[in-house]
Amino acid sequence: MSLVNFTTREITCKIVYYGPGRSGKTTNLQYIYGCVPESRRGKMVSLATRTDRTLFFDFLPLELGSISGFTTRFQLYTVPGQVYYNATRKLVLQGADGVVFVADSQARQLDENLASLQNLQFNLLEQGVDVRTMPTVLQYNKQDLPADLILSPSALDAALNFRDDPSYPADALTGVGVFETLKSISELVLKKLSQESPA
Amino acid sequence: MKRVRAVEPWIEDPLVRFVTEAGARLTLIMTPAGQVLAQHGFTRAVDVMAAAALGAAIVSSTREIATTIGEGAFKALNHQGIHHGIFLAEMSTPRGPLLALVVYGSESSVGLVQLFYEDLVQELVAACPGEEPARPVIAADFERDLHKSLASLFGR
Repeated sequence: MSLVNFTTREITCKIVYYGPGRSGKTTNLQYIYGCVPESRRGKMVSLATRTDRTLFFDFLPLELGSISGFTTRFQLYTVPGQVYYNATRKLVLQGADGVVFVADSQARQLDENLASLQNLQFNLLEQGVDVRTMPTVLQYNKQDLPADLILSPSALDAALNFRDDPSYPADALTGVGVFETLKSISELVLKKLSQESPA
Repeated sequence: MKRVRAVEPWIEDPLVRFVTEAGARLTLIMTPAGQVLAQHGFTRAVDVMAAAALGAAIVSSTREIATTIGEGAFKALNHQGIHHGIFLAEMSTPRGPLLALVVYGSESSVGLVQLFYEDLVQELVAACPGEEPARPVIAADFERDLHKSLASLFGR
């Protein structure tokens, strides 16, 4: 849930990058970390295994600047994608204001994408959150791979995007689609905030 | 002494007293999701957020372990290093559960921190105003500011 401070006019929002293992959630944050000036970001915290697989979460705080007179900060988290880390996924999901679902575009990963989406819905429900009310953006990562290995954005939309959420093809390693995804989820999260308490 | 900064004004006075009496170097009061409500000793907001995220994660994961072994919850956690110690605890307030993360050095001790932490909890519970009604947050036409901010973040 967003933290709003009326005295100092500050807003802090939590965005969680969700998705199956190795879909590119950490890569999204690493790309953002590399692009953003040091004065506008904190240290990227990664709780990872020795082989750099996310164990608990990655965390990147960003200073967006002044929006409607409020100093706005975003906290970007990733969850561990591997199936057996569900307990930690649930912990990271607590209090999320928005979710970026990073799907792996490889055709052979479709079942993993679907399982992770179902897992997201289940974990939100367990926390009393209806997935339909959660600002969500889908990112179809690894679109740079050979065409015979991947599904097209329209095929992935048909398979995964049941609620017609905004979706973006991406190659997070080179940054394609990363900015657009962050921009889109930022808009949805702030739009929800403005609708909940109309100014 | 470094200034105490409170997002929620009712936390400020109890926190100032706690920091002074317990000799804490850094202190954070936050929600269980890691949102900072007040802090003492940090210089950059983004550093505060990282510490809060990690502190909330430790408390959450420890609570899950406690549940697994049928313990319910641990009252507090303490890690003692050579130069610093950290103390983490959860408290109940009329605003719901809050977490405290305290970093102390050789000029203090876990005993001192625990002693004044009990006072801090009592003072916060007494000062807590309860849930506030929803108020206007941001204007509906926030998009222009947002696009400008994101473009400058990414150097576009």
